[in-house]
Amino acid sequence: MPSGNDRRSDWGTAGRRGRRDVLKLIGATGVAGLAGCSGNGSGGDGGSTDRSVQGTYVSASSVDAQSLNWLTIADATSGSYVTATLDGTWAIKPNREIFPLWADYSTDDGRVYEIELRENLEWGAGYGEMTAEDWVYMIKNVFQARPNWSGYPNADAWFRVNPDSGEREPLPVERTGTRTFEISLFEVDPSFPFKPVLWRQQCIPKGILEKYVPEQDTEGLQQDEELNTLAYTGNLGPYSYDEWERSARYTVTRNDDYYLQDVDGVPERFGETPYFDQQVVRVISEESTRLGALESGEVDSSGIPPDKATRFENLPNVNVNVTPQPYARIIVYNMRANGWEPFRSKAVRQALGFAVDKETIVGNVLRGYGQVAQTMQPKWSQWYDDSEVTEFGVGDRYGPERTRSALESALSGTEYAYDGERLVDGSGEQVALSIYYDSGQPTEGTIAEFVAQEFSENAGIDVRPEAVSSSTFQSNYVQTSTPEGTEPEWTAGVFNGGPRDVATSAKPWDMSINLQFNTYPFTPASSKGFFEERGGINYYGYYPEEDIASLYEQATATTEEERRTELFGEAFGLISEEQPFGFLAMPSSVSGYAENVRGYDEEFNTGWDSQTWYFA
Amino acid sequence: MRWYVVRRVVWAVVATFLILSITWGLLAITPNPAAEQMQFQAAASGGSAEAAQEAFEARRGLDRSAWDRYREYMTNMATLNWGWSQSRSQPVIDAIASALPYTAVYSVPTTILSILVGLSIGLYSATHQYTRTDYAATFLAFFGYAIPNFWFGIILLLVFGVQLGWFPVVFDSDLPFFSLGMARQLVLPVVVLVTGTIAGIMRYSRAEALEYVEAEFVKTAKSKGADGYRILTRHVLRPAAVPLMTILVGDILGIFLAASYLVEVVFGIPGLGQLSYNAIIAQDTSLVLGTTLIFTFISVIGNLIQDVAYTVLDPRIDYGDR
Repeated sequence: MPSGNDRRSDWGTAGRRGRRDVLKLIGATGVAGLAGCSGNGSGGDGGSTDRSVQGTYVSASSVDAQSLNWLTIADATSGSYVTATLDGTWAIKPNREIFPLWADYSTDDGRVYEIELRENLEWGAGYGEMTAEDWVYMIKNVFQARPNWSGYPNADAWFRVNPDSGEREPLPVERTGTRTFEISLFEVDPSFPFKPVLWRQQCIPKGILEKYVPEQDTEGLQQDEELNTLAYTGNLGPYSYDEWERSARYTVTRNDDYYLQDVDGVPERFGETPYFDQQVVRVISEESTRLGALESGEVDSSGIPPDKATRFENLPNVNVNVTPQPYARIIVYNMRANGWEPFRSKAVRQALGFAVDKETIVGNVLRGYGQVAQTMQPKWSQWYDDSEVTEFGVGDRYGPERTRSALESALSGTEYAYDGERLVDGSGEQVALSIYYDSGQPTEGTIAEFVAQEFSENAGIDVRPEAVSSSTFQSNYVQTSTPEGTEPEWTAGVFNGGPRDVATSAKPWDMSINLQFNTYPFTPASSKGFFEERGGINYYGYYPEEDIASLYEQATATTEEERRTELFGEAFGLISEEQPFGFLAMPSSVSGYAENVRGYDEEFNTGWDSQTWYFA
Repeated sequence: MRWYVVRRVVWAVVATFLILSITWGLLAITPNPAAEQMQFQAAASGGSAEAAQEAFEARRGLDRSAWDRYREYMTNMATLNWGWSQSRSQPVIDAIASALPYTAVYSVPTTILSILVGLSIGLYSATHQYTRTDYAATFLAFFGYAIPNFWFGIILLLVFGVQLGWFPVVFDSDLPFFSLGMARQLVLPVVVLVTGTIAGIMRYSRAEALEYVEAEFVKTAKSKGADGYRILTRHVLRPAAVPLMTILVGDILGIFLAASYLVEVVFGIPGLGQLSYNAIIAQDTSLVLGTTLIFTFISVIGNLIQDVAYTVLDPRIDYGDR
């Protein structure tokens, strides 16, 4: 295989979560299923001696998959079902190293990437060996087809702006051998291998696709039996499809011919992988039933809400596993014309940063399953530079005196002032603001109540929590546009319909905690659009005072690891200082496992070697 | 009566068409949260929200005009080609066919038990009015009626499944329909549903039976030497059953249309209730309309049976001139 890993270590790695994980941004399922969290820690990484193939591993999922035809899906559960039978190009280890599965890559300049497939990859259903021809055909005729006739949800990732033409164009892809193909980027991008474009990217035999490509037969592709029953997966995944009983159970059986058993250069424990005879996902939508099944031993794993975790920690037959995750719980301030105008002032946002006790949110609301958030990176990320970050809402940078004095000074010269304990407007009325939260999320509701209480006690602002469904929030508060008949000076799409003075959401709002934002600890530059005046996601109308986006851009194009760290550290320092959002917490993911399950760990992105889990 | 039934069936077809059209229209104008979320995800990771929307529409076939989609769908329904379920990746007919048996497997025993237990207790209460057992039965009825099925189901699962281990917590769809294992795992859902439905039947049958317990023809039967059982079943139950039919049909439909979803969610039964609810959440048009058709069909047939049952039970009801 090419020595891509060696070269990568020179410019380090950065990546963002896989396409399916990204989709968890809203409405995480809590699945700890087939391709769920795994790792190499608690079960003893090197302990291959106590591993043996045995048993049926049963996990509980709150929702069912939509399809096994991965070309047509965009939900995390469907992705996890398919991943059990199809590995994909490579996995990313928690320490941001690439672990080659079907393929490895090499590059000399960070612009042209050669992908080399392993020798022993065999399709099922008589499609023969997996070759570069399969990949190039799929990329060009499905991913990069215009129009996107297949509806492949990630097609956009295969297009980039060509600086020569200024247009968004398909990335040039070319076959260079039977098992090698080349992807040429328009510009240097050292993070490319860690983006969803190739990370865990799966493939479909050309023999299947060419039945539908000439006529662009969307319906035929969606309903293809071999795609929908994973009949083509051959030796390409640890398990083989067995049965999918919708809304009830998904079963896969150990693949005796799994290709990773016969390759050099992988840890010893992969020699006999996978270690379960069978894996089953039970679909149990009701939380109490799901947790009851974990407690009674009827399932071997399930997600656990933080408020129930302590009870499970005390059970002898369940181990509770807490893993960091990249989603930041933030207060989004509406700086558009239908929000509270003072939010536009950095000094006001900083003052409000003193008002909410973040440690109480982590300790009491999240029951300790999380960390305080200060900027658009978690503290455990390598891009988080303590010396650059300005902290708010902790220690002596929290409290009523600090908040009031800062707010008073920030609002001097405006109509707002303190009347005793209350912040009042020009007419002497106490400032009253709304904070929206998801009506289906009790923990979110508690956080909203707590923020309201803190704002009232520490800032003298009356905050009214308002529950709203996620779909209503999306359409009434997140989508922004200019009034009918008005042509905006510019627009950056539905989530940033134009300048904040003219483009607003359908309904007014002041603050919200409805959406958790992904901080992308592997490819931090992916959050660039949150901090640009004309970013794709700027429904809140934030105009940065510092040029944060340019720091992101410099870091993205820098292949020198140290410099990248420095630039990102600086960017996240500026973000913490500007307080575009009220950063609150980074909740952890909590799962329960039967006491005899081994292999998982408490690290971020530990899903790279789930095929080596076993029963003790 | 035949003409009456034919007219009822024709009306049922018209009603079905209207219901399907309205449901289709509502789905067409409702924004799809999945599409909005996909757009947000795409924009959040530096992609294009518009491209995400385009991909979603291509997958769902929404890139065609509303009229084209409506026309095609209605034609398919009429020709029994109920289409492809996007949220389950299988034909709608298959989805319904796989879900129906799971709904039937608990709703049939529930219906039979509800009727038997409800009628028995109701008749017993009527003939033993104001006794301790009558009061106990009344308490039982109101307890079952008042307690929410959803909550009651969870409590039963936690007590008898998790704590005592008498019944499985997770519904195992692998077990054969006619097996002890299946019966065992259906005990709790059936208990939940029966306690919820017997109240109505019991109270109505008690009230209706009371009307006839002291009737002249019952006294006559008694004086002729008819035994208690015969009096109860032939002379009291039969006339009382005419109004009771209304509530019986209503209860059975209730099990299918409302209670089924709650019980299926709590006990993880992959039946029609979950199928329909999940289809609505996913805005899976074909599947929503398919399941709507099934529910409509059940309602129409239920009402038809109710009307026909009136004539069988009460010869005074005549449809000859209708």
